[in-house]
Parts: sequence; structure tokens; C-alpha cells
Amino acid sequence: MPFKRMPQTFTASIGTVTIGTGEKAVTMGGENVLPLYSFDAPIANRPLIGVEVSDLGVDNTLPELAAFYAGADTVVEQAKRAATMPGADFLAIRLESADPNGANTPVEESVALCKAIADAVDCPLVIEGSKNAEKDSTLLAKVAEALQGKNVLLMSAKEENYKSICAAAVLAYGQKMGAESAVDINLAKQLNVLIDKMGVKGENVAMNVGSAAAGYGFEYVASTMDRVKAAALGQNDNMLQMPIITPVSSEAWSVKEAIVSEEDEPEWGPTEARGVEMEIATAAACLAGGSNAVILKHPKSVATIAAFISAII
Amino acid sequence: MGKFVVIGERIHCISPVIREAMANFNPEPILKRAKEQLDAGATYLDLNIGPAEKNGVELMQWGVKLLQENFDNVPLALDTANMAAIEAGIQVYNRSKGKPIVNSADAGDRIGYLDLAANNDAICIALCSKHGIPSDNDERMAYCQELLERGMGLGMDPEDMWFDPLFLVVKGMQDKQMEMLEFLRMLTDMGLKSTGGLSNVSNGMPKHLRPIMDSAMVAMAMQCGLTSAIVNPCDQRLMETIKSCDVIKNETLYADSYLEL
Repeated sequence: MPFKRMPQTFTASIGTVTIGTGEKAVTMGGENVLPLYSFDAPIANRPLIGVEVSDLGVDNTLPELAAFYAGADTVVEQAKRAATMPGADFLAIRLESADPNGANTPVEESVALCKAIADAVDCPLVIEGSKNAEKDSTLLAKVAEALQGKNVLLMSAKEENYKSICAAAVLAYGQKMGAESAVDINLAKQLNVLIDKMGVKGENVAMNVGSAAAGYGFEYVASTMDRVKAAALGQNDNMLQMPIITPVSSEAWSVKEAIVSEEDEPEWGPTEARGVEMEIATAAACLAGGSNAVILKHPKSVATIAAFISAII
Repeated sequence: MGKFVVIGERIHCISPVIREAMANFNPEPILKRAKEQLDAGATYLDLNIGPAEKNGVELMQWGVKLLQENFDNVPLALDTANMAAIEAGIQVYNRSKGKPIVNSADAGDRIGYLDLAANNDAICIALCSKHGIPSDNDERMAYCQELLERGMGLGMDPEDMWFDPLFLVVKGMQDKQMEMLEFLRMLTDMGLKSTGGLSNVSNGMPKHLRPIMDSAMVAMAMQCGLTSAIVNPCDQRLMETIKSCDVIKNETLYADSYLEL
């Protein structure tokens, strides 16, 4: 009997979220097939790659990374350099120093930095907060106000602070928002329901369903993403049809394989190469699981993942 | 088989309010009931215009357009003894949210409704009966096969035939309930879809008991694979039961707000 090809397409589809303005604006999501299944139907928008720039500056202990940013001494200069990275679709500014348990940079300073970067680059922006829910509810609201008209994505609203971020970021200033849950499928859906009840439409929300570096419980991430896409496409669950954006670099570059020095573990080889490999392995796994956008930091990882995406789609 | 499909039964000419609205082509009472049912979680709305011998065509087209234009092309079940009216309703029906349902055919005098559905690419509710209530499951199954063969002969997809096992009233036919559930299981094992007028089960019971009995029946029937029912979606207990069963059956993903969705 001849083989009969049966494309697995769905009547439901993943929603789209557009960030940025003008020609550089990019859109994530929109597919009606399982992740990367371009053989079943054309993928509406290929997955996007963001480059992360921390407000703590570039990690100069990584020689290749330092070389890429050579001469860019301020965070704004580094952001401008990052925006030129081949393969990058958007810039992700990570306001790490705003963390009250860290440098606790005042809100006004963080906002001024975001404003300066937004004025200096023309690519779409994602603003990642301090990860402290209380601080972020003020910080991201102020950033939303300062960057009005730039159509940025603010990450992330959690169960603790979604109300203020919905109200300020999206409803008042027309920005986009990330909805963050920590590898918990039921909470991911619940948070989207709560955000929907605030009057925020799905086209303004991307989900961050959490991640883990490859080898660090990634199987939970994989099953969460699988279940999200199965419900979104197979059950037409519109509370799970938001595209998924996954910050990979913060996870990948914080595990021991990416940190321990070559002196301590000579047989492991150079630290930077290991970090790049962790970042690539994690990002590729996230894309296969259903991420519609990944956030990376190393130019080598960005180039590799960009090549991976264009080869597979 | 997917999420349970609730067909809202409250736009029915047996209700004095609706009958009067239909007689005078008055949209308000009909729109009000439609909204209540959709807010409560109905997927399909049943539009029952009764025998409608005189102006069925006009009335059905008016009703279909009224509901679909006001509620984002809500999918409908067209319910009347006037076949021309059903056909006319389908002519103006927008399919973007789902095929129309023809309500209903049986293996007896109403078998022509199956032809009507087949000719118009509609879903058809197929009652497993011929003359009154089937005496046992052998009889039910014979009618089911008869309907299935005829539908498939007409080119229908079996998925588009939703078999009605005939829910029976507990008060008087208590001993027949388990058999009916067993028949549902047979339909499920054959991969067939099912529906029916579930609240018939609690007919004649005190008002406060009906939601309890209906909820118990829907849970047991869903366990046996029932895929849809024609019910009153404004019955909160019933809808809570259906949504909870959909979660238990893994047809919808649980979230703390699942009852509000």
C-alpha cells in the first residue's frame, strides 16, 4: 500500500504577539501545527531570538563575549552593539540590578536607562524586571509609561503582581506583557485567565512558562510545554493559546557547567565554550518544546540557534 | 472525543415568552435567553420553533440570522417538524463556528431528516427509536445501525451523526436507567458521538431535586462516553458537574478558575 501523508494540522492556532514598531517590528506565534512541524503546514512566524543585555554590564570573564562588546563601555553602548548581533530579532534589557536583595537600583535610574536604550536603538525591546514581584510591579509600570509608543514586552507578570502590570503596562500604556509561571501548567492557565479577566486581550500576552537548563529538570519544562501546545491546538483552549517566550540565558549561564573555572575542572575545557553549549542545548530544546521566542546572550549561541531555525523551517 | 458539547434548550416555543416572541418576531426575549445560555457556557443553542406550519421558513431564517448576527455566528441546532423551515434556516446559516445541527431524525417517520442533513452538510441528531421508546438495547442498536447505514449511504461522516439513546424518566422507568447507560457505552465503543434530552430523566420531580438528579445522570453518562446533551445551561449545578467531568476526563486543562470558563 502506498504511503499516504497525513499532515497534522489543527483548526485552532497559537495567537500572535507583535513587539516593536515600524519595519523592525516582529511577530511571534500564529502556527497551527506542533512546534517546528513545518512539514505539516507552513509556520506562520518562525521562532524569534532575543539578545539579553544586563544592566550590570557585560561579563568580562568570558573572553569571546567581552570581545564582541569591546569598546562598548556603558550599558547603552552595549545595547547598541547587541542590536547589531547577527541573528537577533529583538533586544532584552534585564534590569537585574533593580533587585532589592541586590544593588537595589532606584526605579528612576532603571527607567532612565530603558529610556536611553530605547532612544538609541530601533529594534523591538523586551524589558525583564528584577524578578522581585513587589519591585517589578512598580518598576515595570514606570518603564511602561516611559516607553509609551515603543510597543515593548514587559516581563513578567506573576500571580502576585499581575494586576498592577495589566493595569499599567497594557491597559494604560498599550505595551505587551509576559505572564510568568514556574513550570506549573495549571498556574500558567490560571494566570492567563486572571489576566483575561482584567480585560487584557490575548494578543497582548506572551507566556513564560518557565525553564530550566538542560539537565536540570528540563523534563518538567518539556512536559509543560507539550501539554500547553496540546491544549492550545488540540482542545482549542484559548486560555493557553498565547505564544511562549523563554529566557534561556539566565538559566543556562547559572549552572555549574557554565560557571566552574577551567582551573577547578581542567578536563571540562574552557568555561565559555561550556556555557555556550548549555545555552544552545537549552534553547534548542525549548524551541522543540514550543517556545515561540528564546532570549540568549552569547553571539555564538545566537548564530547557532538562528542557523538551526532557518535550517529546520 | 473532546470537550462535552452543551446544547442550550431554552429557546423553545413551549415557553410562553418565547412563543409570543416568535409569533410577533420580537427579538428581545430570544436574545435575552440566548445571552443567558451562552454566558452560562452553552456551545450550541437549540432553536425550536415548534410545528411552524404556516410561516416556518420565514421564522427559522429570522431566528438563525437574529442569533448568529448578535452572538458571533453561534452554532445552532434547528428544531422543528417543518423540514422546509430547517432547510431554509441552513441556507442563511454561517458555519464559521460549527456546522448546523438538524434536530432530529429517527428510524421511523422522521428518517427523512437524515437525508435533509446529508444534503445540506449538517450534523444530525439521530434518535435510536422508531415508534415510541425502544424496549431494550437490542432494539436501540438495530435502529442505530439502520440510521448509521443510511447516513453513510448518503455520504455522511459518522462523526456528523449524534445518536440519542433516549433518556428515560426515573419516575416510572427507574429499572431502565442502567441499560440506557450501557447503550451509551456501546455507542462510545463504536466510536460514535451521542447526545439527548438529558433532563427528561428528572421529569416530574420536585423542582429542587431536578438539578441534583440531572447532574448525577450527566456524570454517569459522561463516564459512559456521552459527548453532548441538550440541557438547560442555566442550571448551575449541572454545568459545574459537566465542567468538572471534562477536567476528570482530561478534556480540559484544570485551572483554579475552571468553573468560570
